[in-house]
Order: sequence, then C-alpha cells, then structure tokens
Amino acid sequence: MAPASVAVSLSFRVVPPRPCRRRARWPRPIRASSDGSGVANGDRKVGALEGRVGDLRAVVASVPPAVAAIKKNIGLNFIAGFCLGITLLAAVARQVIIRIHERDNKGSVADLIRRGQLKSGQRGIAKPRVYDDPFNNPLVKIDEDTSTAQVFGKEYRLAPIRLTKEQQAMHQKRRSRTYQWKRPTVFLKEGDSLPPDVDPDTVRWIPVNHPFAAASTEVDEETAKQNVYQKDGVPSRVKAEHEALQTRLEASNNVNKFSSSQRNMQLSDRQLRLSSNESSGSRQNSLSGTVKNQNGQPTLESEKRSPDNNSQSKSLEEQ
Amino acid sequence: MAFAPRLLLPSRCPPPASSPARHGGRTAPELSGPTPRVVVVTSGKGGVGKTTTTANLAASLARLSLSAVAVDADAGLRNLDLLLGLENRVHLTAADVLAGDCRLDQALVRHRALHDLQLLCLSKPRSKLPLAFGSKTLTWVADALRRAANPPAFILIDCPAGVDAGFVTAIAPAEEAVLVTTPDITALRDADRVAGLLECDGIKDIKIIVNRVRPDLVKGEDMMSALDVQEMLGLPLLGVVPEDAEVIRSTNRGVPLVLNDPPTPAGLALEQATWRLVERDAMTAVMVEEQERPKKKAGFFSFFGG
Repeated sequence: MAPASVAVSLSFRVVPPRPCRRRARWPRPIRASSDGSGVANGDRKVGALEGRVGDLRAVVASVPPAVAAIKKNIGLNFIAGFCLGITLLAAVARQVIIRIHERDNKGSVADLIRRGQLKSGQRGIAKPRVYDDPFNNPLVKIDEDTSTAQVFGKEYRLAPIRLTKEQQAMHQKRRSRTYQWKRPTVFLKEGDSLPPDVDPDTVRWIPVNHPFAAASTEVDEETAKQNVYQKDGVPSRVKAEHEALQTRLEASNNVNKFSSSQRNMQLSDRQLRLSSNESSGSRQNSLSGTVKNQNGQPTLESEKRSPDNNSQSKSLEEQ
Repeated sequence: MAFAPRLLLPSRCPPPASSPARHGGRTAPELSGPTPRVVVVTSGKGGVGKTTTTANLAASLARLSLSAVAVDADAGLRNLDLLLGLENRVHLTAADVLAGDCRLDQALVRHRALHDLQLLCLSKPRSKLPLAFGSKTLTWVADALRRAANPPAFILIDCPAGVDAGFVTAIAPAEEAVLVTTPDITALRDADRVAGLLECDGIKDIKIIVNRVRPDLVKGEDMMSALDVQEMLGLPLLGVVPEDAEVIRSTNRGVPLVLNDPPTPAGLALEQATWRLVERDAMTAVMVEEQERPKKKAGFFSFFGG
C-alpha cells in the first residue's frame, strides 16, 4: 500500500505561482496642478504621504524581521505539527478521492457482485472451483510440521485427538449399563389390547395423533412387502383396481347385452302374437303389454313403444 | 452418570495427525466396505442439523459419483426434499409403495443436477403410515434397494428427532450411524442417550459430527470444543462443522452447501466428513483455536491503509 499512498500523496502537485501578465502597479506620480492653491494642496498631500511612509517605516523597523522571528521561534513542535497537519490533509484527501472513485464505479458489474446483487457465477467471471480434494486446496492448507491449518485465510492450531480405543470401550460399557433397551418391533395404538403372541417388551405404543397411527390398512403385511420388492410391472393396487374396473365394465356390458336381447325377444314375440291374433280380444292385448325393466319393476309396454301403435291404445281407451 | 468430567479422563499420547497427508493429492476417496452401506443420520435433539448434514453428505457423495439414496424418515415433518430443492417433485412416497400405488423405483426422485442422488420420502406430510408394519417399512426398502439391478453405494436415512416410533423405524435397517450434535450440554445428553440406544440395537459403528462450532467462542472458553465433545461421548469424530451463515442461505435456496461456488467453510467441512465416511475414517486432529497472525511491521504509509 505504500506505493499507492505515495502516488496519492504525490497526486497533489504544488501549483507554481503564475507569472503576472498584468503590468506592475507602480505608485502613480503625483501630478502637480497648474494653479497656486493647487500647489499648496499638493505640498500638503506630499507631506502627509511622507508622514505615513515614515510611520510605516517605523512600524517595519519596530517589528523584528520575519526570518529572524521564524528562526527564533521554530522548533520540533512546529515541525511535528506541520507534518501532522499535512498528513491529516493527505488522509482526508485520499478518502475523498476514494469516495469519488467509488461513486464513479457505482452500478458496474464488479460493484454489483461486491454488493451481492449479482451472482458472479452466472456472469462467467467467477473463479471456478479449482480443487477436488477438500483437504488440500487453495482454501485449505495444512502444515503438518507446525501443526497448523490455514482455512479460508485464517490460521488454526491443529490439536491431536486424545480419544483412545480403551476410552471408547469404557464409554460403550457405561452406556450399555445406563441404557438397557430393546428395539420395539410391534407398533400398537394406545388403548388397543395386547395380542397374546406378542412380547410386551417389543411393543411400542403409538399415540392416536402420531403419523404412524393410521386407522387401518387396506393391504396386509405380506402384500405390502411384495409391493416394496416389486421391481417391474404394474403396481399391485393399480393392477387390482384396473382389473376390478374391467370386471365391472364387462359385467355391465353383459347386463346391457342381456337386457337388450331380452327386450328384442319380447318385442318379436309380441309382434308375432299380434300378427297371429289380430282379431283376438283386447283383454289379451292388455295382458301382454306389461314387461319388466332392468330392475325387475313392471312397466307398461305402451309407454315405451313408438306412437305407431295407436290402434292398441285406442282399443284400450275404447274399453 | 452420563458424562465423565474431562479432568478425570486419562490423557494419552495421541496418534499423529496423519489424515490430511493420506488424503493429499487424490481426487476421490476410496470406498470402503460392501455396498450399499446403510447409514442413519441421527441426533436425538431436534434442530442440531441432521437434515442439513444428510442433504450435504448425500450431495457430496453424488458429486463423487457414488450413488446415494437419501431417505427422509421423518413421517410427520419432512424437510429433506426442501434442502435438496426437490419439494415440487415428490408425488409418490414409501407409503404409496407399501399400498401398491407405485413401485419403489417410481417413488425415488432423482436430482436433476446430481444424477447419482435420489430421494425417497417416507410419507406425505398429512398422511399416515400403516401402523402394523411401520417399523418394517425401511427395512424392506433398504433390502429392496440392495437387491435392485443397480444398487446404490449409500443409503442415508434422515432420522426424525426424538426416540419414539420414527427413530425406531429409521434405525431399523441401519448398519452404521452418524450422530450429529452441537457443542452444548442439552444436545450432548440426547446424543449420549441415542448412542446408547444405537449400541443396544447392535449398531457399533457410530461417528459424531460436531455442528455449529464457533472457534472464537471456543477460544474464549464460552463453548465446548470438538475435543471436549468427543471426550464426553467417547466416539470417533467424523467432522467438525463451523457455524456458517451460508447454511441458512443454501437451505432457503434448496441447494446443498457442498455445491456452493465459491466454497464455504461449512461446506468444505462437510465434504471432508463425506470423504471420511466413504473411507470409514475418523479425524485425527481438529482445529481448536484461531491463532494470532504475526503482526507485520507497520510502515510509514500504514496510516493511509497500507
């Protein structure tokens, strides 16, 4: 940083005094006027001026020369103060310059990344991960000679593990004495009765509101196990549902077929009967007009038939 | 007595810190043990970072091209999907597999960026698991994954807090455990109890991750160090994760911390823990305190910021 600060401090150049282009101001000559009163006035003015100059000379003579005064009063304190002042001035100026520089860079990609508003990884300017080994990479350096590790720029002391196999065994013994436990293998809902073939020590009682406390399962244990082990094919429930649906569909198709064939048969019988017994009585017609629907309920055939059987209806009405 | 005072424990000469050297110069850890390895991430106490650890371990494993299935065993309050950014893609769960609504491979949600990472949720938030075989669900799932055509290298089970039915279900298929704890006395007591229950269940391979460590507080003796935690629990250390504000950011973004670019201290610590997990290794040295940097000789222009 030192060269930078040097550069910064040198950036202030001392501006040399500009040569004065204007004509030097010389005391104007006092003009003598032509008239007598003017002469008297002029003498008086010259006298006053000379008096003032004399006063000034006296003042200058009474004041000790500046160089002598500086030589007399200057000391280490003055030099230190002067240097401190210059230093402070330079530091302030540096801060101002930095702020101006930052203001100039606002909104740049680097600035946005620095402020976390932009992911550097997406911009293609991030440094890729340059390691495969998490124990030895630019971010993790382990120095075995000094037993130190440098992780993310910070140094840590490496302390060796003190646990021995004996201590480990001792802790295991302590725990086995303290915690004597047998893993439950049967889950039962609280309030249920204990099955006769189950060891009470292997039972875990589950509260009703527990996620495991489903009221009942639709599959038995063996089926569930088979479901888990199933490697390919249609899952069992999906298959079962599909088969059930298929069966129902087939059953409904059969019923439709059956009902439609039955109806056709009845219709043909009726037509035959009608054609053969055209002259027979209306009583017989009214009896043959009742059929049963899909649900077995009796319905009047005339209600379902087309309006071309007006003769039958008319005959019934006539009766 | 749950904890032995630190001063009463005999101090032995420790093994040399050789772990960093062993890892040096390699690009991937060596997978140890038969696969799939079923690891349960548990703690006992809630809010110590189980789910964050699970998500990051799984993501880090997938980044190392080790296929991993992360199972959220928290039936009531699942969050692993959020941390992995998969919350909008979980439509089928293990409960649906049990019911026969889908196959197991259909219930696994594959991560879009990390193809070796898959997520399985136990159930939907407001649904209930069948009681009769709730404890056996994950055992079957782990076994089915083991028998799959392409079995994963790791099955990481995110255990719910507490030691009730959810815990029992989560630990049932596990062979090893990662115990996450924070360096405070409440978390340590629960961790010790959980370690005891795990050991009673036959899980002997238990390692601890000390989460949310603040070296400045440790240095000022306002917080227990990872070594103190280890001495109290008597378990090998898998990792020490420092407190990091980036954890909250990564959680909200749904991107695991280990995928952060640029890397973060917590992300790197979790990556290191993943390497140790893969190699069945443990920490041999921990960073305990921040060292004072030697002060540079102040120059004349240091006043200006140099």
